[in-house]
Amino acid sequence: MPLKQLNILLADDDVDDCIFFKKALEELLLATDVTVVNDGEKLMQQLTSKDSELPHVLFLDLNMPRKNGFECLAEIKQNEKLAALPVIIFSTSFEQGVVNQLYLSGAQYFIRKPSEFEQFKNIIHQTLFLIASQLASNKTGKIRQPEKEDFVLVLVK
Amino acid sequence: MEKKKMPQKVHSQTIIEASIDPLVTINSDDVTEQKWVKDLRIANIELAFQNNEKEKRAAELAIANKELAFQNNEKEKRATELGVANKELAFQNHEKEKRAAELVIANKELAFQNDEKEKRAAELGIAIKELAFQNGEKEKRAAELVIANNELAFQNDEKEKRAEELIIANKELLAFTYISSHDLQEPLRKIQTFITIILENENENLSENGKYNFERMQLAAGRMQQLIDDLLAFSRVATTELNFEKTNLNQIIEEVKAELKDTIHEKQATIEIGELGTPNLIAFQFRQLMYNLISNALKFSNPEIPSYIIITKRMVKGHEVNNEKLSKGKSYFHIKVKDNGIGFEPHFSERIFGVFQKLHGKEVYSGTGIGLAIVKKIAENHNGIIAATGELKKGATFDIYIPSN
Repeated sequence: MPLKQLNILLADDDVDDCIFFKKALEELLLATDVTVVNDGEKLMQQLTSKDSELPHVLFLDLNMPRKNGFECLAEIKQNEKLAALPVIIFSTSFEQGVVNQLYLSGAQYFIRKPSEFEQFKNIIHQTLFLIASQLASNKTGKIRQPEKEDFVLVLVK
Repeated sequence: MEKKKMPQKVHSQTIIEASIDPLVTINSDDVTEQKWVKDLRIANIELAFQNNEKEKRAAELAIANKELAFQNNEKEKRATELGVANKELAFQNHEKEKRAAELVIANKELAFQNDEKEKRAAELGIAIKELAFQNGEKEKRAAELVIANNELAFQNDEKEKRAEELIIANKELLAFTYISSHDLQEPLRKIQTFITIILENENENLSENGKYNFERMQLAAGRMQQLIDDLLAFSRVATTELNFEKTNLNQIIEEVKAELKDTIHEKQATIEIGELGTPNLIAFQFRQLMYNLISNALKFSNPEIPSYIIITKRMVKGHEVNNEKLSKGKSYFHIKVKDNGIGFEPHFSERIFGVFQKLHGKEVYSGTGIGLAIVKKIAENHNGIIAATGELKKGATFDIYIPSN
């Protein structure tokens, strides 16, 4: 199905990171629409409310107040209506054990937030391109979880 | 003979004179003849008398001889009897002497035994005293033991308490690790991101000095990020569970080589790897150990010559290695990583394994000084040791010994 616009939901309580994310999308000149929620409870409310459409992709921070990223991921994957939603974990830290657990929980990709803005922008671009191309080539609108070794997204130079 | 006859003749003449018959007349002529006859008769009488006497004496002598013979016989009998009796006596004396001697010995023996008995009695007295003393000591020790046991029980309790506290502290440490991995890095990362945004967007508005200062800030923030990453890696090595598994060490090193291929190319490095086998290891930790050692060897390579690293394995007994930390009888899996890099002064061979210990300024060789501390920790997690030997400008050698079971 051809996409006119990619609807993105960003769940992150950090104001600066939200600014970086929006700025990156602006500079990338992509046809996107971003909705931001600042905690895990609001995220789940947003996803389960009847009047809002489901986003194409969710960028999920792990450290959030009230309900953290792990809990949200588990709830999403256990919910039939939400299970197909590609969830991209967007985190400051990298811990192999945590990464393994997230893969098993059904997350789509893991991104460690880069410290240089240029890289930040590029990894978001790369990710959105991956998601969009898979959505476009798949009639059911579902995306398969990648192999384990492709789970952690690294910047292609 | 003449002398003996003379007293006999005198005696005979006396007897004849006394016996002259006064009736006999003797004429002159006749006197001579008469005298001679007379003498003859006297002589005959004398002779007869003497014969008679002789016979008498002979008879007496015979009797006396018989008596003597009898007496001799008796004497011989007595003598014989005496001889027998003497022998008997001598025998009895001998026996008596023997008995006496035996008695003396027996007496001596008895005296000795008495002596010994007295000695034993005295010793027994001492032994009894000693026993009484020992019993007393035993009771004392028993009492002390009871106290020591109580103390031990108390210490055990305390140890259990400490162990519980340690578990809690470990959990807190893990929480702290997570906090530092996330919460400490987040503001740091944002500082870096903002700097890059400013350098990008405000480039024209910044003076050269302003740009330089921002670049220095960026470097400092980058170093801090590296520090946090390395500290995290160190605490992870110190706190994670240790799962030993059969590990193909050659494969692990091939992976590390692939990861470091850019640096290997840049340093024109040759890495020679022997047959390393499949020892029991904590695989992901040993991978990090090999990564740290190989990247270290590449980093501290001699810029004037191509880097050459050789990795070999052998099995050794503890006593074959001059290192007191190894048990003499145990078998060890010995891995040697040797390079031809810049090396180090021998007296730094312990210090380089300390956390944050560096031998070079950060402007010359980047790094936080944690890499080898992690390597040491990983060797210890394998119940093994690592030793470094080096010589300035002649390369460094790292020897890792892991117990083979």
